[in-house]
Amino acid sequence: MNKTLFRSASLAATLALLVALPAGAQAFQNFVTVGDSLIAGEQSACVVQRFQERSWVTIVAERLGQTDFQQPWISEVAATNPLTGYPCLGLVLNGTSLGLTFVSETGQNTNLLLPRPYNNLGFNGSPLIADFVDLTVTQPGTSDLDNIAGRVLRNCEGCPLQGTSAVDQANLLSPDLVGFWGGNNDVLNAMFAGVAIVGVTITPPDSFAASYGQVLTGLSASGRTLVTFNIPNIDDIPYATTIPPVLVNPATRQPVVVNGQLVPLLGPGDAAYPCTPTPPDTGCPLPPGSHVMLPASSLLALGVGIPTALGGTGQPLPHGTFTPPATLHVGVVLYPDDAALIESTTATYNEAIASAASANGAILIDANALFADVTARGYDIGGIHLTTAFATGGIFSYDGVHPSAIGYGIIADIFIRTLNAAKGSSIPEPNFSDILFTPNVPNLPGASMTADGGPWQYSLGTWRGVLDSAFSRRLSVQMPGMPRAMAPAPEAPRTNARTVRVASRGPADSD
Amino acid sequence: MAFVGFLAASPAYPAGFQVMTQGAKATGMGLAFAGIADDPSAIFYNPAGIAWQEHFSGQGGFAILGRFNGDFTGANPFPGVGQNGSIDNTQQFLVPNLYLVVPLTAELNFGLALDSPYGLGLRWNNPNTSWSGRFISQNAVIKTTDLNPNFSYKLFPELAIAAGADYRFSGVQLERNTAAVNPFTQSVVDVAHTKLYSNLTSNGGWGWNVAAMWKPTPGIGVGASYRSKVTVNYDGTATVTQRFTGDATFDQLVTASIPLGVHPVTTQIVFPASLNTGLGFQFGGGWTLSLEADWTEWSSFQSLNIHSTDGSIPDLDRTTAWTDSWAYRAGIEKKFGEWALRVGYYFDNTPQPTKDVGPILSDSDRNVYTFGIGYNTPQVGLNLGAAYIDFKHRQVLTESTDNFFGTYSESAWALVGDLRISF
Repeated sequence: MNKTLFRSASLAATLALLVALPAGAQAFQNFVTVGDSLIAGEQSACVVQRFQERSWVTIVAERLGQTDFQQPWISEVAATNPLTGYPCLGLVLNGTSLGLTFVSETGQNTNLLLPRPYNNLGFNGSPLIADFVDLTVTQPGTSDLDNIAGRVLRNCEGCPLQGTSAVDQANLLSPDLVGFWGGNNDVLNAMFAGVAIVGVTITPPDSFAASYGQVLTGLSASGRTLVTFNIPNIDDIPYATTIPPVLVNPATRQPVVVNGQLVPLLGPGDAAYPCTPTPPDTGCPLPPGSHVMLPASSLLALGVGIPTALGGTGQPLPHGTFTPPATLHVGVVLYPDDAALIESTTATYNEAIASAASANGAILIDANALFADVTARGYDIGGIHLTTAFATGGIFSYDGVHPSAIGYGIIADIFIRTLNAAKGSSIPEPNFSDILFTPNVPNLPGASMTADGGPWQYSLGTWRGVLDSAFSRRLSVQMPGMPRAMAPAPEAPRTNARTVRVASRGPADSD
Repeated sequence: MAFVGFLAASPAYPAGFQVMTQGAKATGMGLAFAGIADDPSAIFYNPAGIAWQEHFSGQGGFAILGRFNGDFTGANPFPGVGQNGSIDNTQQFLVPNLYLVVPLTAELNFGLALDSPYGLGLRWNNPNTSWSGRFISQNAVIKTTDLNPNFSYKLFPELAIAAGADYRFSGVQLERNTAAVNPFTQSVVDVAHTKLYSNLTSNGGWGWNVAAMWKPTPGIGVGASYRSKVTVNYDGTATVTQRFTGDATFDQLVTASIPLGVHPVTTQIVFPASLNTGLGFQFGGGWTLSLEADWTEWSSFQSLNIHSTDGSIPDLDRTTAWTDSWAYRAGIEKKFGEWALRVGYYFDNTPQPTKDVGPILSDSDRNVYTFGIGYNTPQVGLNLGAAYIDFKHRQVLTESTDNFFGTYSESAWALVGDLRISF
């Protein structure tokens, strides 16, 4: 009798709840996100509150009406010399050319004492897929990843959330909606390194699949909606597409033509494309299909990669190489075989992601197709045409890798529309007038630091900043030689122990 | 000089950008006039009707068209909640018309019309500041003036046919701003204004029309009038001017990268064919009832393409995908000797799919209520008609060609008058 009464009461309560909700709507009360820099909201090589407030995660939380959505708010402070935090890029005009510069840097986490896990558990520092289930940071940090992740996870020995992974912390919050985006670095680190080597700059697909499955299984739960993203191709990322592998006149931005032929830039060759230089050049023409990364800009400004006959040094742009057991010499050129391996690995990863999503009942957002479509056609909204063009297109930030505030707005809209379509919810879409027309500049006193060299002024210092966060915990990173004056100032407050940890470990490995 | 008056832009109040208010009597009777067609404006509504007009007649008139309101309420994702706009309802449009009926023989009559059967005038308020649709359209104008000679012939005392040629002068104008991302702020700003313009008198196209009218008894009229498509190819100009942002560095970069100045452009509009079918019944006591169903082949308007002849500006290729539409009209007239009072109603289905609705043109279904008064003798006719046009709200919330979402609401009015003199 009591049981019948209880069932009736439960049914009545359920019906009352359904009546209270808008028709077809499903309310989400507790949104939590886990993942890499694309979850953290990184733009222009850093994560600061200005960017966090305009990340896709924050936009979605606002549209859900989740007032207690907490994240580690990283203050933005004026850039110091030497840097004491991680630099944020901005754009300035140097003479007649555009130049990237450090306009600010990261400060402190102003929300560090939150007595519970953050709702946004994304962190940059180039975490690999396995890091979301097994990364435990040290205090003080022994690497940039430690320093960055430590402010989010707070799981070091003696810390409030000791021993808990990002996935564990997400589960502690008992969310009803989880967004996950990770695994990008497992393959895109090859782009940053300028060489694709499975087990060094690319996580082996089997390991990736196992770790990805572990993450999604860990994040899935009964009554919970899990949304995950797959991985874009390098051909859709300005970092790898802005500089063509042929000589461009920096004044006109048009390819240089000699005797009716384009002039390839010079590289050192690799196993698939051996190089026998023609003196006085010491490099060989890059084959079609090569990718030249944005940091090459600075080297090109010095004449590196340009044939002697056309006023260059004849030296090759560096291609990444690996010296066992754990030394990576990074480069700025991907040969076609590198690019093919990255793309095939991305495709393999995405199959694993789709499989894991299906196995765990997760909604999959095809970021790969989204990025490809936007690269091909741009994104039109209200008569405004946005593209993936570096710096001027509006969709990518100044690092050429992470979306801008506008790009994150597009991702937020895709996320909400996908969720509404899949779950019958009616979450309001973002307001793009705010997103499009609000300037994205730091509100800080003082001048920025100077930039150096190249058509895009993508300085070696900038590049090093990116690489520091990408590899410092895994490999001993060796930069190509550059004049000392161009190198960024020593970063004494930052810890760069560069513990070797290559990308070949399995999901159960620990640091 | 009279011709200059025809250069006035016209708003689109019947469905699409058709303008049917070409006669005061017809307007008073809900534009249900194909089965009546008993004054010189019959040349527009049903040219076969002039076969029964036995005197040399000239009729001149006008329509004044205006809006009570035209509002846009923004929705997410763009322009977003709180981003509203309004059409400039201080704009009023004078659309003149002129008709001439010349009896040639007992069976053969000639008629000449000068009118404006299509038009659009949609200018948004605050076009350079708060109007969030300014990158799609700030001001859209279509002007037409038709020169339409017709011959009618009475095959039998009860049946007449008519045929005519139609030359349509037309001009178009589209103004909008161009947006770009300021790379220093990573935000969108206005960098240029583009005015696409083609002159009314420089562009035109030919069409034709046929009509028939049957009057089995003096009190019954059955009419049908068909007008062909008219294709107008426009040669015009695109004038690009820079809009300065106040950021000198950025403005300098913009100056170097946009095609300032005047550039040649071309476009084409295929004006639709139409078929008007009507019935007129004269009852005792001076009562007349008129009914009409009109079909317009708006499926001819599938795209809007503006091509830059010298490639200096991006082409505009916009799918419109309109569909054929029907309008249903009814009107009643009550005569009091030489005076007449008229009322009418019609419902117009919009040919414009929701996806295409936007700042260039936001059309919708509408209910129209009309009223008219007239004084007519065999020698003189003086008629006035008025219409209140109540547009249904048009919501664009899921699909939009422009990715521009919100709700359009509008109401408008028309006042039509004409004077006939017959000899």
